Amino acid sequence: MIPQLVTVRHRRANGRRLRLYVPVLPVLLVLSPLLVPAVLVGLVACLATRISPVGALRGAGQLLCALPGTRIEVAQGATALRISVR
Amino acid sequence: MNEQRRQILQMLTEGKITADEAERLIDALEREQPDSPPGAAPRPKPRPKYLRVVLSSADNFGGDGPGRVNVRVPLQLLRAGVRLTSLIPPQALSQVNVELAKSGVPIDLTQLKPQHIEELIEQLDDVTVDVDQPDAKVQVFCE
Repeated sequence: MIPQLVTVRHRRANGRRLRLYVPVLPVLLVLSPLLVPAVLVGLVACLATRISPVGALRGAGQLLCALPGTRIEVAQGATALRISVR
Repeated sequence: MNEQRRQILQMLTEGKITADEAERLIDALEREQPDSPPGAAPRPKPRPKYLRVVLSSADNFGGDGPGRVNVRVPLQLLRAGVRLTSLIPPQALSQVNVELAKSGVPIDLTQLKPQHIEELIEQLDDVTVDVDQPDAKVQVFCE
């Protein structure tokens, strides 16, 4: 299952908070015209470095599917950043 | 309530033992009696799903106050990353080997097979690293 929602929470030193909810699938759909050239560039890069494009694609897919559950929190005093993938 | 516990409480009410002694006896009783009934198969330990890295620092960088880093990574992500390393071309690995040797780390990465790293990740379940310093604390564990 690919990630469905990426949440970014940022707390600034002055106490202001920013919450960003990024729904992955709609964003991917919006960016799909850019994904095709990106895949082509990746394919050329794989061929240039003699890496199996199928293996690279499969590896990237596995990496994407393993992302849900990832959570990164960094806090320094009053400043904090939290990224979670669901 | 089982018979032994009842006897301990009885001795406590009769004043034969003190409350501290009763507590110690009950603790010892609980240690001797595991939760599962005797003869039953032990429940398999749930497999951890995440690798956690927690860092707390009392250092006051830039006057902002203490810092904290809390990272939770699914073990599945590590496995997927390991599979990606198998795509690294051999010439790149040999270059990395040369650089590692120059830095005093004589590790031959070409000998590191994906199944070895898989085994390593499998055994990560039991790894716990605790670093305690007066101004910082680092914990690495699986949950």
